[in-house]
Order: sequence, then structure tokens, then C-alpha cells
Amino acid sequence: SSNEHKLNFKKSKEACLSYIQDALLQKQWKRAAEFLTCYVESLEKDYSREHIGPSEMIWRIGTEILWHHSQSSMKEFNCFMEQMKTLGVKRYLKVCLEHVFHLLCNGQIDEAYQNLSLAESWRFGEQTAIQDKEMKLIQAYRGLLDYCSWSKQKNILLEHGEDGFADLAVEQEMHGYFRKAAVNLKEIIKIPGVWDVFVKCYVDLLEFYGDHNEARQVLNEYAYNSKFPANPNAHVYLYQFLKRQGESKKSLISALKILHDIVPSHELMIDFNTMLQKSKKRKKRRLGLEVIFGALDYAGWKENAKAWSCLARQLKQIVISEKHLDWIKQEWNSRKDWWPAFHFSRYLAKRNWQENKSLSYEKALVAGILLGKDCKYFKYVSHQGCKAQLKRFRMLKKFVTRHNPVYLRISG
Amino acid sequence: PPPEEGGPAPVAGWGEHGQVLEGGPGRCQVQPAFVPRRGATGERWEAADAASVPVLLPSAGCWIPSPAPQDILYRSSLCRKLQAGKSGATLDFARQLGHFFVDHPEDAFGSLGRLLHKNFYLGNAKLKRPARNSTIRMTALVEDINRLEARRGCPRQHLASRLRWFSHLCRDWLFEVPLGLLADCLHEELTQQWSSLLFDDSLTGGALAWLPAEDGGTPVGCLVHPGGQAMNHLYFQNVVLEELPHARGSPAQFELSGRIRQVAAAHVDGQDFVGVRSDYHCGVWRVPGKTGAAPVPLQVIRTDAPASCLTVSPHLPGELSVCTQSGTVYLWSVETGLQRLRHDPQTMFFRDHSPWRWSDFTAHPRVLSCADRTGLQCLDARAPKKCHFDLFKVGEEAGCQQGERVVLPMYLGRAHPSQYLVTTQFSVYVLDERLPLVPVLKWAHMMKAPPLFAHLMPGKPGRTHKLLLGASRTQEMLLLQYRDGFWGVSTGGSQSACQLAGTPQKLHNISGCLQHLPTQLPHRHHLLQQRLSAPAAGLAATLQEDGPHKSMLIFQLSEAGDVIIDEEEEEDMGTPTPLEKAELLQEPCASPQPSPAVPSPAAALRYRRWLRALSRAWREPSRHTWLPSLSQRRLFTRRDLEGPTGPSSLQKQMRQRLRQTMQEGGRIQRWEPLALQPPPLPETLELAGGPDPLSTRLTAAWAGDWEQWWEERTSFSVAQRQRALRERRRRQKRARGRRSLSASFTSSLTYQSELSELSDVGPSLLSPGRPPVLSQEGSPPAGSPPVRSPPPSPAPDEALLSSQSLRCRGIPKERRKTLRDYLSVWAEGPPEPPEPLGSQASQLCIPSSQSQLSSASQPLRKRPRMGF
Repeated sequence: SSNEHKLNFKKSKEACLSYIQDALLQKQWKRAAEFLTCYVESLEKDYSREHIGPSEMIWRIGTEILWHHSQSSMKEFNCFMEQMKTLGVKRYLKVCLEHVFHLLCNGQIDEAYQNLSLAESWRFGEQTAIQDKEMKLIQAYRGLLDYCSWSKQKNILLEHGEDGFADLAVEQEMHGYFRKAAVNLKEIIKIPGVWDVFVKCYVDLLEFYGDHNEARQVLNEYAYNSKFPANPNAHVYLYQFLKRQGESKKSLISALKILHDIVPSHELMIDFNTMLQKSKKRKKRRLGLEVIFGALDYAGWKENAKAWSCLARQLKQIVISEKHLDWIKQEWNSRKDWWPAFHFSRYLAKRNWQENKSLSYEKALVAGILLGKDCKYFKYVSHQGCKAQLKRFRMLKKFVTRHNPVYLRISG
Repeated sequence: PPPEEGGPAPVAGWGEHGQVLEGGPGRCQVQPAFVPRRGATGERWEAADAASVPVLLPSAGCWIPSPAPQDILYRSSLCRKLQAGKSGATLDFARQLGHFFVDHPEDAFGSLGRLLHKNFYLGNAKLKRPARNSTIRMTALVEDINRLEARRGCPRQHLASRLRWFSHLCRDWLFEVPLGLLADCLHEELTQQWSSLLFDDSLTGGALAWLPAEDGGTPVGCLVHPGGQAMNHLYFQNVVLEELPHARGSPAQFELSGRIRQVAAAHVDGQDFVGVRSDYHCGVWRVPGKTGAAPVPLQVIRTDAPASCLTVSPHLPGELSVCTQSGTVYLWSVETGLQRLRHDPQTMFFRDHSPWRWSDFTAHPRVLSCADRTGLQCLDARAPKKCHFDLFKVGEEAGCQQGERVVLPMYLGRAHPSQYLVTTQFSVYVLDERLPLVPVLKWAHMMKAPPLFAHLMPGKPGRTHKLLLGASRTQEMLLLQYRDGFWGVSTGGSQSACQLAGTPQKLHNISGCLQHLPTQLPHRHHLLQQRLSAPAAGLAATLQEDGPHKSMLIFQLSEAGDVIIDEEEEEDMGTPTPLEKAELLQEPCASPQPSPAVPSPAAALRYRRWLRALSRAWREPSRHTWLPSLSQRRLFTRRDLEGPTGPSSLQKQMRQRLRQTMQEGGRIQRWEPLALQPPPLPETLELAGGPDPLSTRLTAAWAGDWEQWWEERTSFSVAQRQRALRERRRRQKRARGRRSLSASFTSSLTYQSELSELSDVGPSLLSPGRPPVLSQEGSPPAGSPPVRSPPPSPAPDEALLSSQSLRCRGIPKERRKTLRDYLSVWAEGPPEPPEPLGSQASQLCIPSSQSQLSSASQPLRKRPRMGF
């Protein structure tokens, strides 16, 4: 009968859990809380070897309820969290981290910092790999908060510096924050992962103290180490750093070239294209055309007037100079079977005309060059433009008609 | 199916922020701001009604539920114990094989059964010596088999040695299809049925689509859904989204050649393209943008292996992607046809047995994603072999659990052009193709069954995107909200993680309707319950904005073909406090089920109407599936029960002739009709076509000389045959003598035929070449000369059925009454109108006495007697 009792206990535990789950999913926080008080009983016999044991469940459910319950306060929440930390040794660091997150989101930065320091000094036997990583994260977040304090002090100093005061104590304090922050931040970014926030802060610290070599090394490592995920942000940070450093066009272009290879649809491709178009080298201009064509392949760029004007400008240049028409031809070859339907349908002509006249102007120019004057998109937009007596649309029509043979050469 | 290892943790998704993100656009603030990755505030959506409401009336034709676990699982105490352990379910293979043998004996043992028919004896009597050489008695074996069912689970089961002996002896040759082969096929089918019961991935994607449109201010749209008994009809139903959404006009309907598994739709270039997937066929329809325009079927393709995925391109009109279970991915363009992008029966990242494949479009119209249970890859259709990259991998990068498998990938292009949804049985992931492999959002969804359906409702800038997840078997439905690229744009082109906003919400499911439907009789209630708890088969939704009032309409399709709608309304974020307070005060103390609110009057009306249509649909199919039943109306035609409207022409003729002869003072030598033409024959009855062997055997059995019949059929020895011949002749002679008496009693042809069978045991009389000389049963063969037979005249069957006549046929006394009842019950439509019977007729279903029978069925008995 003890077996039966155990079975019944298990059953009622499961039923209680399903009621709680039901209440949570329907935002009935009070009802969930009442059930949770019953569920706490299940802690008595926590022999389960399940993936998530009752103590973890109580932590998770309790936290969720306290987040949303209309009568809960921060004090109660902290109290609950302290209890939960003692409930499971293996979970201590994770609960600490979550507690800190909640404090941070509620603007209680100092309490969060205290909690982080406490957690950092916690030791319990051998650490597992997960706990190791959690400890690193705790240290990193403490580093982040140190960075925030440093940044605060720096702002004070800068303001006062303008007034001519130089408070030595404040400066000392600031350097202290820097050291603490730098040590912790440096650690976390050695582990492969996505650490955008930490990297940005660390680089900011290094740059302030003039350690540009270290900053460059960190950013290079973050962008090019193959163990790290292919994170386009890493390349963006590197590019922005190089730009701040006033690096040569060549190194900027090479940084963006790599970004282009990873993410051809990145927002920075417009900058890249303008940079390449200005270049005197043929090869670079050729690459610029490729970049802008490549960006416009993506659905997210469909209505980007700036990108269309970049393409229109470059195409116009090539058509007028009548040099390198083969570039257009090459780019167009792989697109001529789907761009007309994707970009230049009659439906889109109508919609673009209604929504954004300058976009439709740029697109019509591109369509006229690539598809000739009989293209549906061009015909519709130029007709509407002439009807509305807009001068530039009349010019557009004239230009395309004059250069219609180009279309034949491209498509031929 | 995704393996069950671990299983989803019931609360894994609660109470975790996961991470904090920078809350402000700049870094130079005094106080740093942080926002949580999960747990931020989202929009508040509340159900507008107490439960979901059916949108469409149920279609006629009953729904056949798919097999339940108890149909194919082995049930016994022994096995229950086993199941409690780790061995899992035991398929009841033997029972299914048994069902096959019983249901299709002809396919199972046809030819050998016929060959061995003579050598198996099923009677109780001992076999005589000469017969024993070639015949075996099977009775004991049959008894053993019958006992076997009762002995299930008995430890002394092995004692049925006779059965074992028999099965050893004959299992190699008895079966039409070799037993091993048959068993293999059956077992394969069973395991497949079982695995599809556990997890049916053919429904992935869902078979419901909503095509929104605008019609002069009133929001309308077209609901594309399957229907019909086999779910092989495709409907395009226009729906008006007013107070309570309702159908407008009759739907455009297409009959397809297979069960519809998936309906996918995309809005491209001002028109909608709808792709429909069944197992071996995929089709595409175009629905013009104008409201009320008829859908146009464009193209159909047939696949060799079952198709597992069909998605419609959101970029280019008339482009779709198709995957088959053989591991092939095609880009299908209506204009240029199929282009094979990949063929690989193996899974991508590690070995998994599932043949399921999926494919969808990405931000680049020429790049397609393709997925199997282990992850997702993107390939460029222009160079599919060379250009590809991994988008998602079940593994460490995404922090996957052990045994986690991809269930449904979906392109989230309408919310963010480069984002992707991947659901597994444990979690949902949002991925950005610019940062592959590392999810930008992960959340444990805690659903009991893997989410097979997902629907995205993109939010306008500043608002959250809404994501609906639906499971099939459990009908679960979750509403999630997320924000993409939080502050991402303003930080100079660097992207950041997504944020899950608000708490996930459970929405009304289909079976929730049940408690609001009018009270039903218990069996009706059970049927209704069964119907409403059928697995979900699809999901679609739309957002409605009417000034400040925002609502979300969620359509759900069940496997039974029902489409229901659930409306959620957004609560104003500014005023939740007083409302919430009031709610809290009223909230009752914790009870297992929150007391259900009452549906609105409009919804109640809808429930009633739906139920009425459903009960009508239930009544109708009874016509197709009626069981054989007897009613008195079928025993006697209306003509029988009507009074005699007058003598027939033949009778008139005879009467006239008699009168004439009497006047002339002559005599009638032969009762021949004046014209040589045969008398008009009444409609033939079932038995009139000539008795089949079964009826002969049955008749013999009823007559009591079944043994003899059997011997005649099975006898081999010449002597026996001669003896049989002699005996038959003797009986024929005797019968002829009797027949002269009954020759004119042809009123009831059925009786006559029955009786002729009774007397003519031998097959000679039944051969078609020799039409029965004296009896009138059946129509004579077309070419044969008209039979010269005495004019038919009504006969009193009491003569036939009297104890005397039965006795002289050798029918034992105790069976005579039964035979009479039997014959009278199956007699139908005697050609001559009987006397009016009135209330008596009702008693005649089972005539209990001689007098009743005779008075009822033979009204004209007096007249023929006059002739004799």
C-alpha cells in the first residue's frame, strides 16, 4: 500500500502541476499561487531524477507568479529568491543570475551588484562545466556594472574637466572601476560565443586609455576567430573601430568586403557601395556594382529607395560612358529570369507609384535600362509621371528612349 | 517521430529572463537601463467569448475517426505489466492478422480452401470408414480455437498442442499469400499506424489558410480548407468578419484524388497563391485579388514518394518548394516546371531515421532553406551543390536538449525579412540568417505535443509580432509575442537579439466548445465529444483593427473537418488596473476548473445551429450504412395489404372459359391459357434466380438431412454415387407425384422454389439447361420455348406447409414450425393481391400459428380447391 500511496502522491502532484500550468497560461496568477502553496508539499519527497525536479519547478513557477502578481512587491521577490538559492546547490548560480537580471530590469543596479559579488565568492566543491560558465557570466556582468560605474565617473570628470576642476579622488575611483571591469570582461570574451555587449564595453575602456593595439586585437579575434559564431556585428564593430582610428580606405574596404561575403544584405552595404563607386580602380567599381545588385536581391531591400538610387546612379554612369556594359550584362544574366517578376511587375509599379514616388523613379530608371522602354514597370511609371507633369519623369523617359539600344546589348 | 527521450519539462519555460539586453539606445546615460530577454511586458489579449464558435456548418457525410491506440495495441494484464516497464507499447499483431483472415478469407485462403473443402469435416458425428481415408474432422480444432480467446494470458496456453500441430503442418502451404510476407507487410503497416498515432508528421504545416481581402470597408476573406468524408475536397469559402464571422455564399469546391494534408498560401503581386499537398499529388491555385473572384487551378504534380512539404514563395508568383520523403527538394515554378535542388536520403547533420523533409523560402528569392529532423540548411537554387550554409543545427550552438528534433521550420519574412522560426518538441527558436546557428530567441514552449502548426501575425512598428503555435493531437494552442531586433536599427547597423514579450497565453481549443453546446443524450454527447476532440489539422489567423478596437481572429480546423473561430481582443494597456482589481476580487478560490463564462447569445445561437446541422448530417448517412433489418413493411408489399381489386385478367379469362364451358355443357380437358404466351411473370426475387449452393445446404440442414447432403457432396466411391443416384431417382418419382398435387400452387413463387429445392437435392434439376418443368420459379431462359405449364393460380400454402405435407417430405416435427416461420418471413410480394388484413397484418411478422399464417398470406385459397 505504500507503493499505492506513492503512486497516488505522484498522481496528485502531476494534477496539481497541470492546474498551475493551466492557470499560468491563462494569466490567473492568484489561482496559480494558491495551487503552488499546495505543490510545495511535493518537496518533502523529492527523490525524482527527472530533468527538472520539484524544487526547480517551484523556483520557476514562483518567480513567474511574483513577476506578474498584482500584489507582489520587490521585497517579497528578493525574499523568495533567497529561499530558492538555498533549495538547490546545483542551481545556486543560475538562480543568482536570474535574480540579478530581475534587479537590473527594475533599475536596482546597486542591489544587483551586491548580489553578483556575493555569488562570485560562493564556493561549493567541484564545479561543473555549466557552473564554470555561469561563474564566468556572473563575473562578466559584474564587470559590466563596473563599466557602467566607470562610465558614470568618466562623465562626471568630463563635465568637471570643462570647468577646470580635476577631482583626484573621483579619478582614482574611476581607474579602480576600470581595472575591475577590464579583468572580468577580458575573461568572458575569450570563450567562443556572442558577447556583443561585453566586447563593446571592453573596447570602449581600452580606447579611452589609448590601448588601441589591444582593442584592435580583441576586435580582430572576435571577428575572425573561427571558433566564434559568424557574427556580423563583430565585423561591424571592427569596421567602426577602424573608421574611428582614421584607417585607410583600403583597410575599411577589406573589412567591409568580409562583411559582404558573410552577409550580402547588411545595412552597411550602401556605405560599401558608395565607397567603391568613388574608387578610381575599375575592379573596385565592378565590385560596387556587384554589391548593390546583391543587396537588392533580398526581400528586405525591395523598397529601399537609397539602394535603388545607388544602383540607378551607377547604371546611368555606365550607360552614358558606354564602357563596361559587360558588367551589367554579367550581373543581369543571373537575375533576368526572376528580377522582372520580383521587382518590376505592373502591380509593384502601381504600388510604388502610390507609396513612394522617388523610389518608383529610381526603379523605373533601372527597369528602363535593364529591360528596355517596353518594360511594364517603366511604361507605367513614366506614363504616370508625365501625366502628373513631373519634369524628371519626362527626362527619364527621354533618357531611356535614347539609350534603348543598351538594353538590346545587355539582354543579347 | 521525434524520440520520447527526456520528454518536455512541464515548466521549463517559466521564471527565466535568460539574459538582459541594453535598454537604451545610447551608452552615455547616467543610469544604465536593461530590459529582459524574456518577461517584458507585451500586449494584453483577452478572449472575447467563453469558447470558440464554429464558423462553418458541418458538412454532410459522417466522419470516420482514425484508429485509436486501443485498436492496435495488445491488451492483457501480462502486457500491462510489461508496459509499465520500459519496453513501450506492444502492438497486437496477432489480432490484426486474425482480423485479416476473418475479414478477407477469400484473399487469405481462397484456392486451398476450395481444394480442401471436401477433406475437412466440421460435423459432430464420427466419420465412417471409407470417408476417413480422405477426410479429417476439424471440430475439435475449431473448439480449441474458440477456447483460445478465453485462454489469453493463461500460463498454460501452450497446452493447445493440437493447434500447434496443425499450424506446424500447414502454415507453409495453407495461405494464399506466403505467411511470412503477409506478416511482414502487416507488421510494417501496424508500426506505421502506431508511429503516426504517436506523432503524425504528415499534417505538418496545417491544412487551413486564410486569404484576407477588403470589400468596401467590411473585412472579408477567403477560408481555404479541406472537407468531405475523406478530406479530399478543397473548399474556398468566402467569410465576412462582422460581429461573428460567418460564411457568405457557397464555396468554390474542387474534388481531389487524395486526402489533403496541407494547404499553404502566400500573397504575391496582389494575388494569392494556394498550394495544396496530398500524399502523392501537389497542386497550386491562384486566387485573384478581387473579392468574389473564382480560384483558378494552375498546375498539378505527382510525386513518387509521398510529399512531406509544400510551401509557396512569398516573393515570386507561381513559385513553390516541394519536398518528398525520399529526401528530394524541388523548386517548382508554374512557368518553368520542377528543378531538383537536392537529393539525399540521409539526414544532414547526424543520422536520424525520419524521412520527413521540409523546405521554405528565405529573404533571397533564389535561396531556399531545407530541413530535416536534425537541422536546416540554406541552398542557392542557382548553384545548389556549391552554395549552401547551415542555418540551424540540433546541437550545442543552440543549446539543444538530448533527443531534440526539428518539428516545424517557418520563414518569418512578414515580420522581419531575415528571420526564421524553428520549433522542436521542446522549444521554439527564432533564427536570423545573418547570424546562423545561434538563435536570437529561444524559449521552452512546454506544450504536451510538438507544435505542428504555426502562424505569424506581424505587428506594426512599435508593436509586437504575434506567433501562434498549435499542436495536433492535444489541440493545444499558444500565443506568443516577440519583438525583433530590439533597438537594433538605431545602433548603427548592428543587430541584436529578439525579445519575448508578455507571457505566453493559452487560447481556446476546439474541444472547449463542448461544454457550451446544448445538453445532449449521453450517446450523442459521446459522439460529439469524439468529434470535437479530434486532432487539430490546421490553423490560420488574422488581425482586425477597427479604430482603437483591435481583435485577433483565430481559425482552427479539426481532422473531422470542423472549422472553429476564436476571437481575442486587445485590452487597452492604459486601464487594466481597475479592471484587474475588480477581477481579482471576484475571483473564486482555487478550483480545478475555472467556472466557465457563458457564451454570448450570438455564439449560443451559432452552437445550436451547428448542432442541428450536425445531427442532420448524422441522420443522413444511416441510409448508406444500415444493417439488415426486417420490418413488416418489407415482408408484404403494399399491394399485398390492399384489398383485392378484382380478379386478374387470367382469372377472368379462366372464369369466362369455365362459364362458357358450363353453358355449353362441355368439359375442360386442359387448363391451358388460350394464348400460348407464358403468363406474365412477377418480378423475380432473390431466391428465384436459382438456388445457390448455400441455400441448398441451408435447406438441407433445415430439412434435417443435411448429413446426407454432405455425403452426397463429398462422396467419392462409385457405389455411393450410384446409390445416391438411385435414391435421387426414387425421390424424384415421389416428388413428381406430389408435384402433380402442388403443381398449380404457384401463388407464391418463393415457396415454390423453396420447396422444389427441398425435393430436388441433386444438382441435375438446378442446371440451367433444364428448366424446372413444373415449377414456375425464375424466368425461363430467353431462348427456351415457353414452358407449357398449368395456368398459375393462387395456391393455398397451408397445403404446402401443413404438417402432413411437411412430414411426408421427411421434415422432422420440431423443425416444421421453424421452417414455416422461415418461409413465411422471407416470402415477399406474392403476385396476387391478398385479402385485406387490417390489424392482423401487423402480427404477421412472426406468424405463430398455422391459422394465422394461412389466413394471412393466402387469401384466395378457396378458389383453386374448387378445381380439384
